[in-house]
Amino acid sequence: MTTLPDDAELLAAELAYGLIEGDERASAEARLGTDADFAAAHARWQAYAAAMFAGAGEAPRPSVWSAIEARLPANDVTPLPARFASAGSSRWWRAGTLAASAAAIVLGVVALQKPQTVFVPATQPAASAPMVAVLTGKQGFVTVSFDPASGHMTSAPAGLDIGRHSPELWVIPADGKPRAMGVMDAAAPSWAKIPATASSAMAAGVTIAVSVEPVGGSPTGQPTGPVILTGKLTTA
Amino acid sequence: MSSTISQMNAASLAETLQRVGSGDRAAFEEVYRRTSVKLFGVCLRILPVRQEAEEALQEAYLSVWRRANLFDATRGSAMTWLISLTRNRAVDRLRSGGKIASAPLEWADDVADPAPVASTLLEIGEDEQQLAHCLATLEGAEQRLIRTAFFEGSTYAELATRSATPLGTIKSRIRRALLKLRDCLA
Repeated sequence: MTTLPDDAELLAAELAYGLIEGDERASAEARLGTDADFAAAHARWQAYAAAMFAGAGEAPRPSVWSAIEARLPANDVTPLPARFASAGSSRWWRAGTLAASAAAIVLGVVALQKPQTVFVPATQPAASAPMVAVLTGKQGFVTVSFDPASGHMTSAPAGLDIGRHSPELWVIPADGKPRAMGVMDAAAPSWAKIPATASSAMAAGVTIAVSVEPVGGSPTGQPTGPVILTGKLTTA
Repeated sequence: MSSTISQMNAASLAETLQRVGSGDRAAFEEVYRRTSVKLFGVCLRILPVRQEAEEALQEAYLSVWRRANLFDATRGSAMTWLISLTRNRAVDRLRSGGKIASAPLEWADDVADPAPVASTLLEIGEDEQQLAHCLATLEGAEQRLIRTAFFEGSTYAELATRSATPLGTIKSRIRRALLKLRDCLA
């Protein structure tokens, strides 16, 4: 280890422990890029600081990961070569392709149903574009479309067979708390107005999920059975 | 043997983090799987309210996704980088709640913070044990100041205000403690 003068050593420690602020902090940060010995001392102090978190840690709830995924930029932001080069990237590619074709199908359904709906003028035009999600996972897939202007959702299942249970749809925004959107038909397209609590959580990037519930839907207002399908809501 | 395995793990965590830097989502998921237990522990240490800790953890991983390309494996371990980043996000959240500056700091009395007991020390890594040992060699008040600064994100100026002590006194006290730590850890 290179021995630094005490002043430099202390500055590195103060930066690692967050003791200094403002100009003093900014100039210490700049020094990291120009003074290798100082940077090495800072790295050493960061490791000491990190060691203050002794102990085993604790597993976060699964909803935390869903919320993180929901807040990542949309899938198609990643440059193509990186997506295709990485292991498991074919999943994203397939999901994208499915989303594109399913979006076309679901939008067709929405268009057909438009005459039945009385539209109220949207107060926020930017948020009123129809949204779609393709849910994939353990079994088949489900396409969901949502019209923010009316609060109506359509769902279209394919290859879904969960026996004597009801598939229930949930919206999971960044806070990780599922809001019930309602039970869907496992065998045919269905159409419903979703509860206001769910409707207010519908935004591009949130997770939509299907859980397996007793016939008629979750008795508790929260998912009680396994989640079999998930997907991201995107603006159509 | 076990050190070889843990070195391999450390090396591959660094590689996985570098893949995240190039936008690899599968690598990001792997980093989450391998580190979220530890990093949630970091968040809970700073933000005992579970929901706030969960939100800080989300913010930390979103920062990991955006900033993994800045990770430099020649400047320290991936785990240290992840812990520092997570600690900073958790402290940001704590500070944004405005809960810090108001709590007076009774650093003059020598009530020690709960230090890890021997049975817990068996479960933690070598670096953590050594740090715990060296922290324990400091005076109670010095330990408290360093812990408060680190876990509550208080700067010198805030520590001075909170403990109603002149800034110069706080600084020299903490600096003396940091140099003792360095000598003990070297």
